[in-house]
Amino acid sequence: MEVDFEACKACGYCASVCPVKVFAQGTDINKKGYAPYRAVKQEACTGCLRCFYMCPDFCLEVTGSARAGNIGGKT
Amino acid sequence: MDYLAERYLRPRKIPSTACSGCGLGQVHKKILLAVEQSGIGTDDLVWGTGIGCTGRQTFNTWKGDNFAGTHGRVYAMAVGLRAALPEEKKILLTVGDGDAFGIGLSHLLHCARRNVGVTVIAADNFGYQSTGGQYGYTTPQGFVTDSSPYGTREPGWLQDGADILDILKSAGATFLARHSSFEGQKAVDSIEKALDNKGFSLVHFIYPCVTHFGAVGLNSRDNGKIVRWFEELFSAKNRPGRGPHVTSGITHDARGSRPEFAAALRSRTREIREGRHVQA
Ligand code: SF4
Ligand code: SF4
Ligand code: SF4
Repeated sequence: MEVDFEACKACGYCASVCPVKVFAQGTDINKKGYAPYRAVKQEACTGCLRCFYMCPDFCLEVTGSARAGNIGGKT
Repeated sequence: MDYLAERYLRPRKIPSTACSGCGLGQVHKKILLAVEQSGIGTDDLVWGTGIGCTGRQTFNTWKGDNFAGTHGRVYAMAVGLRAALPEEKKILLTVGDGDAFGIGLSHLLHCARRNVGVTVIAADNFGYQSTGGQYGYTTPQGFVTDSSPYGTREPGWLQDGADILDILKSAGATFLARHSSFEGQKAVDSIEKALDNKGFSLVHFIYPCVTHFGAVGLNSRDNGKIVRWFEELFSAKNRPGRGPHVTSGITHDARGSRPEFAAALRSRTREIREGRHVQA
């Protein structure tokens, strides 16, 4: 999972649903004035896609092991 | 921007102006996942919008053709479009609860009565949130809103035995489903089926308005608390009685059981032109 820094609105849903705590809020502020979340523990991701369905802002890119699911996306 | 937005949405509309934590984007994303699953391209679907947070956040976001209706009238416009467009072109409408279940309810019911081939996604945030959080037609009774500081007195469309989806079913809708915006693949599959229906489909999504319903009605913008409240709302334990009671899933699937409005109109016109018609 990767978070698009400019598109994230720091709602925190991804962090609250991820069972293995991949996400944590960063301190840098984006152009919209939010401090976006970051995927800080990518290696723990199981690809359950809970975060992807929950994120309201088209800013989670499905990458790595999460692609094993049936969701498209980039490599 | 994720791959869905890149493929289907206009880049200048992303990120949306919706509040942080608003569930509307979750609905928007599920629509695009269903579009992807159905193999629908940007030329295959025309996207119409109502008024309110839903209309505002989804208007003109689709890379294909878009149109906006006046408040509650987008269903009537869609009837005209349905008659004019080729059968294979899909029409999808994203509207709010005020638009669909209040101001435009009469138009919506007639759309269902005629089994007009449109897919309506009714994104319900329990009231008029874009204007500051006034109660509407699905606001649970007793909830504090901007226009009901002591709690709403009126029962909503989702309680005391009433269900807006039952009304739409009686009116003639051929596909109906309900989900919370927090749901995953199950909700995407319902939208896919709705899009597959040749007649009138509506998928009712209940989603959290964190800014008004959350902050005022639930007294919290905390997303953990809001998610728990939604789980309770949709849980089987939540039996009919006082307050809203809803279950998730497809409530009515009668695809193909009734003629679609425009198709029936075309075939009747053909019969009359060719002198094959029988006077009713
Ligand atoms: S796919 Fe599942 S495990 Fe991976 S980051 Fe998202 S919620 Fe966490
Ligand atoms: S759910 Fe999406 S918008 Fe919200 S914090 Fe996570 S990545 Fe950002
Ligand atoms: S006012 Fe409520 S429904 Fe409207 S964008 Fe903000 S959170 Fe969403």
